[in-house]
Amino acid sequence: MPALLEIRGLTAGLQGQRAVTEVVSQVDLDVQAGEILGVVGESGCGKSTLAAAIMRLLLPPQVLQSGSMTLRLKDGKTYELLDLPEADLRQLRWRRLSYIPQGSMNSLNPVLRIERQMTDTLIQHGLSREEALRRSIAALELVNLEPRLLDSYPHELSGGMRQRVIIAAAVSMRPALIVADELTTALDVVTQRQILQELAAIRDELGATILIITHDMGVVAQIADRVAVMYAGKIAELGTVNGIFESPLHPYSQGLIGSIPREGGHRVEGLPGEAPSPWNYPAGCRFHTRCPHVIDRCRAQVPALLPQGDGTWAACHLYEPEVLSNA
Amino acid sequence: MRDLLVVENLQQVFGGKTRTYAVDGVNFRIPEEPAIVSLVGESGSGKSTIARIILGLLQPTAGRVLYEGTDISTRDRKWNRKFRGEVQAVFQDPYSVYNPVYKAERVLKLVIRKFGLAKSKAEAQTLMEEALRAVDLRPEEVLGRHPHQLSGGQRQRLMLARVYLMRPRLIIADEPISMIDAGMRASFLNILLDFRETHGISTLFITHDLSTAMYLGGEIIVLYQGRIMERGQTRAVMSDPQHPYAQLLISSIPTPDPRKRWQEDLSAGPLAEVGAGISSGRDRCLFAERCPAVMDRCWGARPHLQAVDKASETSRDVACYLYS
Ligand SMILES: Nc1ncnc2c1ncn2[C@@H]1O[C@H](COP(=O)(O)OP(=O)(O)O)[C@@H](O)[C@H]1O
Ligand SMILES: Nc1ncnc2c1ncn2[C@@H]1O[C@H](COP(=O)(O)OP(=O)(O)O)[C@@H](O)[C@H]1O
Ligand code: SF4
Ligand code: SF4
Ligand SMILES: [Mg+2]
Ligand SMILES: [Mg+2]
Repeated sequence: MPALLEIRGLTAGLQGQRAVTEVVSQVDLDVQAGEILGVVGESGCGKSTLAAAIMRLLLPPQVLQSGSMTLRLKDGKTYELLDLPEADLRQLRWRRLSYIPQGSMNSLNPVLRIERQMTDTLIQHGLSREEALRRSIAALELVNLEPRLLDSYPHELSGGMRQRVIIAAAVSMRPALIVADELTTALDVVTQRQILQELAAIRDELGATILIITHDMGVVAQIADRVAVMYAGKIAELGTVNGIFESPLHPYSQGLIGSIPREGGHRVEGLPGEAPSPWNYPAGCRFHTRCPHVIDRCRAQVPALLPQGDGTWAACHLYEPEVLSNA
Repeated sequence: MRDLLVVENLQQVFGGKTRTYAVDGVNFRIPEEPAIVSLVGESGSGKSTIARIILGLLQPTAGRVLYEGTDISTRDRKWNRKFRGEVQAVFQDPYSVYNPVYKAERVLKLVIRKFGLAKSKAEAQTLMEEALRAVDLRPEEVLGRHPHQLSGGQRQRLMLARVYLMRPRLIIADEPISMIDAGMRASFLNILLDFRETHGISTLFITHDLSTAMYLGGEIIVLYQGRIMERGQTRAVMSDPQHPYAQLLISSIPTPDPRKRWQEDLSAGPLAEVGAGISSGRDRCLFAERCPAVMDRCWGARPHLQAVDKASETSRDVACYLYS
């Protein structure tokens, strides 16, 4: 089945005085219809840049450099997102593609009641006031909030409730794809669990596809079907959640999974060194400065993201056929 | 058994239009022998307030803190100086501790000078390098650089290097790793374990992240609304919590293992949050409105911490009428 969203060679960066510094480089990713795909990586690896680039909502100095993104909807319509004029994009956003940026629970307007904040956007998208209200109430129900909450102001709500309002607003048009960036990062574990379980229920109810972006390995382990591990602006490995956690292939995924503090008794070692920032991404494999398995070609050649069987993809020279056959 | 630190009936009420009971009758002790005690709870449960009181930064509304048997509010200047040397803080974002104008290692140099730890420049240099290595920093990564040139994880470990030079008996670490990347958290926690094992330094580890408490082992104290709900050996509490709140909290940890996913679907249940520091009607179990096992008596008076299991491995104190 063709992917709902097919991302190819997506490259985005930061416009400097003289040149553009790549932040996210050559990302290839198929997001399958109906899945929850987790994108994980340490802070600064480019997750939020990727999310904004997918939505075409990069803000200067961020710039989209190259690539293609094809959105194929169930009704047969296909869109080349990078070729679409802004006006058409605006129609797609919210109705088909929904975005919950990092920190958005703090972006509600403090002087407007929730009702206005939820319905205004829907009315701007051409809905009548009644229809907008009906949809807002239905969306609040998806996140277990009562309709009377529409009369509240943001400060009257807890963090978890504000985040639920944001989710409700994002799904009120029943979008095909929801991109959620660090959705539960600022919340307590019980609320986090409830909201993530609500999100999974929304996927089932609306048949939506969810791209969940987080630095928290626990979050992806709990709700993702597949996981993309990012390092320094590139996808290091992509696979099923069980595959990534139980038999990671890429040395970075291995380090990340291996450094998770687990139950007392046995120690785990942290990953040595620091993740590079976009201004000093190393040449070749960007992980080569920290990789325990580095070989000569890693310093010069960029490893391609290649299929490794069982739906796993890895970008590491160790898994290239000629290296494997010499081993 | 003597205790290094005793927290006795601590209460902190913040004023204002509505009173906030940030800390409400908290008792615990840190033993004389080197130990790690984790203080866990959701945000607003009173953790930082307890830390500030222990560090002498805040005068509690009621109750007291004893260090080696002496009330820390004593005015004995000599004792105070000793206390400030032996109990050290490590906070969430150490960035504010650094002066951006100076090189990062100044935080080490100042300590060496203040405590007269070195007789010569060369000796000071050796001491700094030793301290950096003790916290897994390569001297060349840090020396000569400014604070902003270091990552959050490096700055945080540099704070530990400073603590290492001072050789305190107790570290009060308030959410020290919540700003550090996943890959580096384990190294930070390992340093605290090493400090305990090789230098006899204890830590009060404050966190909202239960999985790090699990890694550290030792003892755990679970706070809710400024009160202790359950206390015991970390391993026992995590694997078999007794208090209904501890059960909810521990079952909600996003375990980083897809084969250990959350069991029951909580999404349609009552919303989890209750504003922090409930201001009135506190003469009851504060978990009552969320508790699946609530009984009439839970609304009538505050349940106090009581031992429910005396076997040393699993011994537990729980504040819940199900057990008394
Ligand atoms: N608007 C911006 N201005 C300056 N630097 C930026 C901007 N956006 C992103 N960056 C830099 O790009 C890198 C990736 O950032 P981001 O995509 O936010 O990563 P993540 O979400 O994984 O933490 C970081 O080094 C960040 O500092
Ligand atoms: N200086 C203060 N004035 C008023 N309220 C405070 C003050 N410090 C903390 N609080 C309140 O006390 C409660 C506990 O806060 P805190 O100890 O910071 O919790 P935690 O560290 O567990 O998040 C919260 O409700 C907080 O808003
Ligand atoms: S390509 Fe080389 S440096 Fe990169 S992860 Fe693989 S072995 Fe390590
Ligand atoms: S005292 Fe009552 S309400 Fe409180 S936790 Fe125990 S059973 Fe539940
Ligand atoms: Mg981000
Ligand atoms: Mg705090």
